Amino acid sequence: MNTAADILFGGLFQGSLYAMMAVGLALVWTTIGVFNFSHGVFMMLGAYLAWQFVALGFPAYVAFPLAVALMAGVGWLLQATVVRPLIGRANLVLVVVITTLAAGSLIENGALVIWGPRSKQVPPLLEGNITLGGIGVSLHQIAIIVITPIILAALWAFLNRTRLGLALRAVAQNEDASRLVGLNVTALYALAFGIAAALAALAGIFLGGYRFMTPVMGADPLLKALIVVVFGGISSISGPIFAAYVIGFFEAICSYYFGLYWTPALLFAALILTLMVKPEGLFTRSGRGFA
Amino acid sequence: MTAANLADAKPSRPAASAIPVGPGRVPWQREAVAIVIGFAVLALLPFVFTDSYSRHVLIMVFIYAIVASNWDLSLGYGGVFNFGHIALFGIGVYAYSLLTKLAAMDPWLAMVASGVIAVIAAVAVTIPILRLKGIYIILVTFGFAQLVMQVILSQSDYTGGTQGIVRIPSLYVFDHNMVRDGKFAYFYIALALLAASTVFLRAFVRSRTGISIVALRDNEDYAVSRGISLVKQRLITLAASAFFTGVAGAFYAAYQRNASVEVFSMSLGTIILSMVLLGGTSTIYGAIIASFVLTVFSEAMADFGAWRPIITALLILVVMLAYPGGIVGMLNAAMAVFSRRGSAGRG
Repeated sequence: MNTAADILFGGLFQGSLYAMMAVGLALVWTTIGVFNFSHGVFMMLGAYLAWQFVALGFPAYVAFPLAVALMAGVGWLLQATVVRPLIGRANLVLVVVITTLAAGSLIENGALVIWGPRSKQVPPLLEGNITLGGIGVSLHQIAIIVITPIILAALWAFLNRTRLGLALRAVAQNEDASRLVGLNVTALYALAFGIAAALAALAGIFLGGYRFMTPVMGADPLLKALIVVVFGGISSISGPIFAAYVIGFFEAICSYYFGLYWTPALLFAALILTLMVKPEGLFTRSGRGFA
Repeated sequence: MTAANLADAKPSRPAASAIPVGPGRVPWQREAVAIVIGFAVLALLPFVFTDSYSRHVLIMVFIYAIVASNWDLSLGYGGVFNFGHIALFGIGVYAYSLLTKLAAMDPWLAMVASGVIAVIAAVAVTIPILRLKGIYIILVTFGFAQLVMQVILSQSDYTGGTQGIVRIPSLYVFDHNMVRDGKFAYFYIALALLAASTVFLRAFVRSRTGISIVALRDNEDYAVSRGISLVKQRLITLAASAFFTGVAGAFYAAYQRNASVEVFSMSLGTIILSMVLLGGTSTIYGAIIASFVLTVFSEAMADFGAWRPIITALLILVVMLAYPGGIVGMLNAAMAVFSRRGSAGRG
């Protein structure tokens, strides 16, 4: 019974985290067609901003939304400075990899200068622990498991049920046609980046609530987000979300039966095998665009 | 205005240097002379910089230059977004360390063996990416690099795990004392490796194989329809870019005398990748020049502490935004200005 509870809980928790980390990355890829390698740094900065607001005396329910909103602005700024001017260049994907990496390094070291290398912790979403099905879990983790699907559902509703969301999907599917029907493609790019950065900030707050945060905390989540996006197929938003939970459970099962040491190696082996058999990802039909 | 000047005046023409037709392509004799002169100048540097610190910086420049310029072969010429390149360097480091420490192999032999092992690893990573394109290649090769690192971390009985390996046997030159010569011998070994690597790379990209790789990058369908094998050429490209990268890793291990998984880290990968892109892709020389510029720049700012990576990142951003062709693009633009002035004077 405990085994099942362990795996179920571990899988749900990791899956929720991975989904939060990956969905912003997937959003930017589907709309703009670039990979934002400063996505991990966004998570770090979001967590630090939240910490800073809490340290200034704001209650968590004010500090967290404030940090998320501010990060949307940071995302917009980054897009306007290091991504937008490059659109249209021949080797766009590659150049954006390096500019976002450089911008990420800039922010990361900036955080190091401002906040110092000592690790900090954001207050958890909910204090306390409970026992569920024979295992002890913290309410913070439960909150993450509950909040993540709500946010993802809201994002889905935004992309599928509102005019603005439909416009974003239109840009993702065909940029020229979107321009022809009068959509402001530049503004929509900025919007995609802003939403992605806000989602990253939320993931950062989730992370900072249960483990210690440092300026380099974004590197590992970025890697995980990349894996999730590849697994799920980079042509849709829903693919990576499913993949996040699949990977969460895969890791929970692997670490239970093979130990923590072998889990990453097994995961990567599974990733490479997946790509050899189905290069476009597990949950993909064809073409770039939201599904 | 001569035909050569015309070509110089258009620096933004994609990869003009790699294509054997048309005006403006430097004949190989002239390039060979330039290489000999360039390396002769570099060979005189230890007599100018007699302190071991400056020589250490130059040795690191040469190591980075080898890794970056070989990366330019797969990334720039091949158009293969191989983000596992840094892992090939790491494999060289660990292959040398394990061969010399556990198998007690002769250091020089182990260095060559490390290059061969890196080539084998490159072939292994190329097989899964043969069917893939663009961004998917980035992700698989990135995954490969992480996989190698995880395997090394988990096999801590042999590799020392997170502790790394210490007291790695160094290289030897007869009875020469490698420690007390102010890094004199290591400087020339590193320089010789860079020279060998550069000559190899330039000969490779000027060969028919090199041209066919560029053809595949620029127009895959047409190149394939003309009978170029994508599978074969991609395997050759990756394998060719791996040998000196692995040897450089082995040299690094022999020089530092310790090894850790830091060599797989994203920060090192970012630095080397910025050398490739900052220099300007598909030039080989660009990566070498950028290695020099970035390393010396970074060392010159040692007093700035935490601001150093910030300034470096800003420098990369400014160059990438202003000069898509990197440093070589910048130099070409400057040359174009000069040659325009020159021809105006003549006319």
